[in-house]
Amino acid sequence: MNEKELVKKAQSGDFEAFSRLIEKYKNKIYNLGFKLSGNRHDAEDILQETFLKAVDNIDKFRGESSFGTWLYAIAVNAVNALHQSKKKAELKPIEDFLPGGHGSGDGAKELFEWGDPHELLEQKELNRVIDDTLAEMSDKYSVPFILRYYEDLSVKEVADSMNLSVAATKSRILRARLALRERLSEVFKEKANERV
Amino acid sequence: MSECKKHIQSIADYIDGELGPELCSEIEEHLKGCKNCRLMVDTLRQTVILCKDGEREELPESISSKLNEAIKRRWEKKFGKA
Ligand SMILES: [Zn+2]
Repeated sequence: MNEKELVKKAQSGDFEAFSRLIEKYKNKIYNLGFKLSGNRHDAEDILQETFLKAVDNIDKFRGESSFGTWLYAIAVNAVNALHQSKKKAELKPIEDFLPGGHGSGDGAKELFEWGDPHELLEQKELNRVIDDTLAEMSDKYSVPFILRYYEDLSVKEVADSMNLSVAATKSRILRARLALRERLSEVFKEKANERV
Repeated sequence: MSECKKHIQSIADYIDGELGPELCSEIEEHLKGCKNCRLMVDTLRQTVILCKDGEREELPESISSKLNEAIKRRWEKKFGKA
């Protein structure tokens, strides 16, 4: 049975069908919550809130988007509600991430060459740098980045989940990507300097 | 420099394979003469690869079964006994 058929059955009250949809998406939603919050407790809240809201609103799903995109939109709202009180970092404009831009992290006019990052940092440390950087930045950047590259949604699907234009979505994804690149570059540079 | 600024979004699209052929060759032309943008391509590409290489957090069994119970209760409230 394909997803559309499962959704139709679920909408008519078939719990078995809905259970299969849960199975398909629970790990993805949990991971999204974990990446954004950096802890299991909040990830669990986001997961539950998302699926309970999905039950409440299942009859309102009209199939204009895929079920996954609809579910991510609910998750994004759950994240927003949870994080409303938490201050997270606004990111600087795109041009300031470029070499020679105001306050670009590399400072220098030339970018640092990474070579093979795994020679400088173990995967575990790499993961920590990435996870911390994502958890620190405002959700408006981390959410689209995670949906795009961890959940492999298309830009259009991310835009639909977040109720944004494609252009705005692309720009936010790029800012998150540039922020991660800059942070990784700083860490690699430090490590390379320690070696000399 | 302003050239590079102008190109940065296209460079990201280029890495992701989402750039039309015309813009693609324009970017490739720029890359030939601009080391920083070449490094930008390399490091932005690696950034996403390194992210994807990270482990995914396993959903703990205890959370999963709590979730199923909560959903079932909510479902029965809405639709009656499953
Ligand atoms: Zn350039």
